[in-house]
Amino acid sequence: MKLIFALLQQMSVFLVIAYLFSKSPAFRPLTGETLRARHKLLLYFIFSGFSILGTYFGLPVQDAIANTRAIGAVLAGLIGGPLLGTAVGLTGGLHRFALGGFTAFSCGVSTTAEGLFGGLVHLWLMRRGQPEQVFSPKIAFAATFAAEAMQMAIILLLARPFADAVALVQVIAAPMMLANAAGAALFMSIMRDQKSMYDKFGVIFSGRALKIAERTLGILDKGFKPATAAGEVARIIHQETGVGAVAITDRDKVLAYVGLGADHHQPGTPIASELTRRAIEENRVIFADGVHEHYTCTRAADCPLGSALVVPLRLDNEVIGTIKLYEPKRKLFLNLNRTLGEGIARLLSEQLLRSRYEEQKRLLVTSELKLVQAQVNPHFLFNALNTIIAVLRKDADQARELLLHLSNFFRKNLKRSGDLATLEEELDHVNAYLGIERVRFEDRLRVEMAVEPALLPLKIPTFTLQPIVENAIKHGISGMLEPGVVRITGRIEGEKAVIEVEDNAGAYCEELKSGGLGMNIVDRRIRNLYGDRFGLAVSCRAGEWTRVAVTVPWAGGE
Amino acid sequence: MIRALIVDDEMHAREELRLLLEETGEVEVVGSCANALEAVKAINRQRPQVLFLDIQMPVIGGFELLSMIDEEVMPHVVFVTAYDEYALKAFEEKTLDYLLKPVTPERLKKSVEKLRSALRSGAPAAYETVRLNRIPCVSANRIKLVEPQAVEYVRSELSGVHVVTPQGSFYTELTLKVLEDRTDLLRCHRQYLVNLDQVDEILLIESGLAEIRTKSGQTLPVSRRYLKILKERLNL
Repeated sequence: MKLIFALLQQMSVFLVIAYLFSKSPAFRPLTGETLRARHKLLLYFIFSGFSILGTYFGLPVQDAIANTRAIGAVLAGLIGGPLLGTAVGLTGGLHRFALGGFTAFSCGVSTTAEGLFGGLVHLWLMRRGQPEQVFSPKIAFAATFAAEAMQMAIILLLARPFADAVALVQVIAAPMMLANAAGAALFMSIMRDQKSMYDKFGVIFSGRALKIAERTLGILDKGFKPATAAGEVARIIHQETGVGAVAITDRDKVLAYVGLGADHHQPGTPIASELTRRAIEENRVIFADGVHEHYTCTRAADCPLGSALVVPLRLDNEVIGTIKLYEPKRKLFLNLNRTLGEGIARLLSEQLLRSRYEEQKRLLVTSELKLVQAQVNPHFLFNALNTIIAVLRKDADQARELLLHLSNFFRKNLKRSGDLATLEEELDHVNAYLGIERVRFEDRLRVEMAVEPALLPLKIPTFTLQPIVENAIKHGISGMLEPGVVRITGRIEGEKAVIEVEDNAGAYCEELKSGGLGMNIVDRRIRNLYGDRFGLAVSCRAGEWTRVAVTVPWAGGE
Repeated sequence: MIRALIVDDEMHAREELRLLLEETGEVEVVGSCANALEAVKAINRQRPQVLFLDIQMPVIGGFELLSMIDEEVMPHVVFVTAYDEYALKAFEEKTLDYLLKPVTPERLKKSVEKLRSALRSGAPAAYETVRLNRIPCVSANRIKLVEPQAVEYVRSELSGVHVVTPQGSFYTELTLKVLEDRTDLLRCHRQYLVNLDQVDEILLIESGLAEIRTKSGQTLPVSRRYLKILKERLNL
């Protein structure tokens, strides 16, 4: 009984060491999923140390040592496999052998066997597909209990004289089996808790990072240009990280500041901090931890901030600004927040890069569009004027009407630089155009229009319809001797609105299909705006018809 | 008075130009046509001295029209267009003049003066014409464009010129001479052109005459005058 208390007592010392170990960086490798050779070597030294300590802490009993040596060997085997287990067992065993006594040899052998046994249990668990059970305290208890029982058997087998061995085993068997098994189980439980804490820590960390990513998404669509964007992002980071203050700067001045000291860190003021200037100049992360290096506010003597992390925001490897996280003097700057801060900066850089890309894409489309708009077909203009001059001789009223159409057409062409217009406005533009063409072509052009009235308020990109109708006339109808028909229809198909322009010429399929005649840009604008499910579809039968269908989202007339 | 023909697919444009021309007091408009086919017909019949020709017209444009006109009846040409400066520049040397729509009376007056002096000099209107790669034919109120390679032979009758293809026989306003000059069709008789690729055999008859049997089994006469040329072409 006394012996079992003694063993439990030394086990407690052991557990304290185990606890310290679990808090030390040496524990890190165990938190990963797989162990590398380097980590196994480290574990070998640690568990061998445990094993040897177990012997030293042991109590001399009848020229032998009641001990907790088995814990190190069995756990090494359990965690690292047979090789590590055997290596640790052998080391602990050799050490024990060197100390002498009548059980020296049998103990040496049995410790090695115990390590190997732990390793075999490890293998068995792996085969059964239960690697997480390796860290189970129950398994550790059972394995150590069994290993100690095996040790007793080995002592009986190998230690001579046999009578002494029997006497010894009678005394130590129960205490050692119990103490070692309990010790191993508790040790394992400490390690498991620590491991799961690391996991939880990781979950919290990635949770926060993801939340920031999610919340900032979209804000930077247009870069930091909108005055509110930087402030919004700073506010979100401040909320999610819980640091003392967050600032965002460009290369020269503070764009946004949220948190402690906001009274004297005003957005719009030039960068005052030496740390920030260094981060920008040297294009690297600057960290003033508040212990070795202090953050000192240059603006106000009573500024509560004491530590700061300055991470450059990069765009194409060029620093365009910084993001700064501060903590007050009385608070430690968490490592977690440091890593998080650097991650956030990377995230924002990515978003800014994307926004710049989007901006360039948009500019490209806009400038192409301007070009198309500027290209009012001169043929159309002069023919229209010629027609009006001719009509003027016979019918002043019709000429007046034509001039109104023409001015309407040009006003629409010049004015509509905005992105979206209602279908009604688009049709107005088309009608102004057709009003003139109808007179020019006379009975060679008939226009049929059947657009669902519900569609009229639908917003579509400007300059979508008129170029399509103009193509139908310029490249289709105008080449026909027979009467030409242009049919414009608009209908709702579930979540889509389809506006179709069809002619009965069927004369310009290939040009359209290859995206020519300005159709490419119309298609790209719609896709940019609404995604690839929408856009232009061209179909035709040579000599019979050409059909261009514009598909845009329909949200039920909201 | 200068006899002029207007060719433009737009009615109002034709009307306007006719009035402007008449207002000069020096031009008589003998006709106005809405397409190239009508124009060929009118030129062959009316023999105008000048053509006011729109470049952009359906199916057959102004330039192509020129290659369908017999050199003998080729009028002087004034191109009229709304906006084709590039095309016009390229053609500048080959046409008498060109006008931009809307046409101003002042500018038109200059054209008429140019025209008058050209007519006074008596130099024939000679335009460098391109080869025809399609023959406009009339088929039931539609224009049928026949590729010269698809033609078996062409026959001229009192009723006009007929282009015979495996799909049938089509009436065309183009003369045999134009077709002979600007396609690979070969003259074998005063009234016949034949596509050599479609010739199956040539049967020689006495007194220097011959007959061509086409691949589709048609028989065409070969006159003495053209047999020699035919033989040369066939390396006989």
